Amino acid sequence: MPKVIIPTPLRPFTNQQDAVELPGSNVGEVLQALTTQYAELRKHLYNDEGKLRSFVNIYLNEEDIRYLDKEKTAVKEGDTLSIVPSIAGGLAWPL
Amino acid sequence: MIRIEKEAWQTMLQHAKATYPRECCGALLGTADARGRHVVIARPMRNAYDGPQQDSYQLDPTEQLAVEKEARALGLSVVGIFHSHPDCDAYFSKRDLENSCPWYSFVVLSIKAGEFDHAKSFLPNFDQTAAEQEPLEYMV
Repeated sequence: MPKVIIPTPLRPFTNQQDAVELPGSNVGEVLQALTTQYAELRKHLYNDEGKLRSFVNIYLNEEDIRYLDKEKTAVKEGDTLSIVPSIAGGLAWPL
Repeated sequence: MIRIEKEAWQTMLQHAKATYPRECCGALLGTADARGRHVVIARPMRNAYDGPQQDSYQLDPTEQLAVEKEARALGLSVVGIFHSHPDCDAYFSKRDLENSCPWYSFVVLSIKAGEFDHAKSFLPNFDQTAAEQEPLEYMV
């Protein structure tokens, strides 16, 4: 089964596991299995409309799925999915 | 509440001064509990923003993965992100907010004329619409 690496801030929601193996034939199915098994993760990864939050990037092995087939990207045994928050900013535009 | 140990704080300052007048960025490794976050290691990271870096920063996802791996190996968590505002106050800008993540504390260092001026830490919400300032304590 594909493996999902859990970023450290989210480990409290996976019983402190840093990696979880889950069933699924594409990225979306694996993430669905992840958030079904660990329901508290759902609000961290998905917005109220059921879409991945804008700051959540998913990497299949070393590749960003936005440049593959997004959540329909196929996965296979031995693949690793990583959850990497997109972070940027700068001093422009004070609130 | 976020508390930063002396060595980590010095690393942050050195990185912010060395990259001045460009923005610096990096990760804060430590522990978290109900009382807050405790930073023991600061890891400078590359500003991956592809443009003028005087007012912008971007983390490199490959480096983020490496820092996450390092934190796990050390039994720590990535608990925060830091960046600098050269010749500007340490506020959380609209741009900071819109490109933030609620999983971390965001420490902003104000560097004026190449020297540290002040710092603040912020906790953005899930929708990236607001960020609460949190108490920041650092050891000097």
